[in-house]
Amino acid sequence: MGLVWDGITEAFRLIFTGDAQVYEIAFLSLGVSAAATAIALVIGLSVASFLAFRAPPGRTVAISFLNSGFALPPVVVGLIVAVLLWRTGPLGQLHLLYTPGAIVIAQAVIATPVVTALSTAALQGLHPRLRLQVLALGASRWQAAWLLFREARLALLAAVMAGFGAAISEVGATIMVGGNIKGETRTLTSATVLEVQQGNFETAMALSIILLLLIYLVILSLTVVQQRRPPA
Amino acid sequence: MSRTPLAAPAIILALALLSGCGGGEDLLLGATTSLQGTGLLDELVAGFEEESGLEVKYAVAGSGQVLELLRRGEVDVAITHSPEAEAELVAAGDGVDRRPVMENEFLLAGPRGDPAGVTGSKSVAEAFGRIAAAGHAFVSRGDTSGTHIREVAIWRQAGIDLEGAVWYQESATTQSQNLLVASDKAAYTLVDSSTFRVMKDRVDLVSYLADSEPNLYSVIRANPERHAGVKADAARAFSDFLLSERAREIINAFGRDQYGESLFSSLAVPSERVAP
Repeated sequence: MGLVWDGITEAFRLIFTGDAQVYEIAFLSLGVSAAATAIALVIGLSVASFLAFRAPPGRTVAISFLNSGFALPPVVVGLIVAVLLWRTGPLGQLHLLYTPGAIVIAQAVIATPVVTALSTAALQGLHPRLRLQVLALGASRWQAAWLLFREARLALLAAVMAGFGAAISEVGATIMVGGNIKGETRTLTSATVLEVQQGNFETAMALSIILLLLIYLVILSLTVVQQRRPPA
Repeated sequence: MSRTPLAAPAIILALALLSGCGGGEDLLLGATTSLQGTGLLDELVAGFEEESGLEVKYAVAGSGQVLELLRRGEVDVAITHSPEAEAELVAAGDGVDRRPVMENEFLLAGPRGDPAGVTGSKSVAEAFGRIAAAGHAFVSRGDTSGTHIREVAIWRQAGIDLEGAVWYQESATTQSQNLLVASDKAAYTLVDSSTFRVMKDRVDLVSYLADSEPNLYSVIRANPERHAGVKADAARAFSDFLLSERAREIINAFGRDQYGESLFSSLAVPSERVAP
């Protein structure tokens, strides 16, 4: 237990003394996971709208695939993304391996099924006639989509939070495609792994606590947006 | 218009943006886990980047995996500690210009009180024999890391068949993580001396015996004739740097401040000895 307490004190010391390395690592983590979540959201909302509103044939099968994405093993994603990004791989020309870009891709692959599956459920939960009614009242397709997204915002924001959570908490794929390079691809999770490997448990605990605080701040902001009453 | 077609352009756009932050010109280095675990890797890379103006990206894994990446031309240069595997790679033409960079020792570490009675053994092989005879727990890296390869060679030397040995466990983690596992299980394990020094205060293990052969870290370059994408010049510059006076100082000084002793000893020839 002493270690947890030491970790908490060390975390606050690092935060308040403005430790440059820790801030750099925290901003990288935040930036990478935010980008991955944004990509997941764009793809997720597009696919979810298609599945929920168009009800294409084979929808149940498609949704079952998305739902199994909840259990998409990060190590498998890391391996596949790494092999794709290898110099000799199909995306080798992008020279992305061991860069933050590679981590964004891996995390986006992990977050996308989560966001898509939850968004699909959210949009399917809307009254089936609502979309028709909105369209009948003269809304364009984009206006209708915006209205429906707002109607489902409680569940959609929950989907965003779940996607962000999957992205920022990930470490296996992050190390595999990022390389855990100091000052470049070292995130809060991969830095924690390294500190543990070096036996610096206090620092590892401090980084963990900073990660938890960061996650809470992001989720808190999203929750405030989620719970806000929409302007009439 | 359905909204799905948006997904494809979104992915392409994202990849285009991402490739903007890619480092096509950077040197890719493969390095063994004990280098990152001790912290030496970051210092060597920083020293090289400062001197050469090149950027280095690295993948850290056991020597077996690093050498496989080198064979495939996925890294330009590698630092590993698995002499036999390195020699095989060079013989097959998949790696070139292998040069010993530095060394430390392999240690046999085990629980306090020496339950298997390895104290007094003349060699690590003999000590392994005693552990096997006592059937005491032994934790192995169990991967193809340099430490594991050496450990397997010692078991062979001791003439011990590990097939079905319940006391023999494989942790398959990094060097330092492996030490934590061994400590927790009150088991014996083979470890490099640098990792052991870094972890000494955090594990309940003592070192009983040093291996007769040094643990040799070497640098090897990927074969540019087999892989068009390899950054041959940058790799050569890195290899040269590791044997330079500057790297020799970094390596020999590393750990003195924190542990009161150096963790690795450089094999670069000191410049004062080069001059006649």
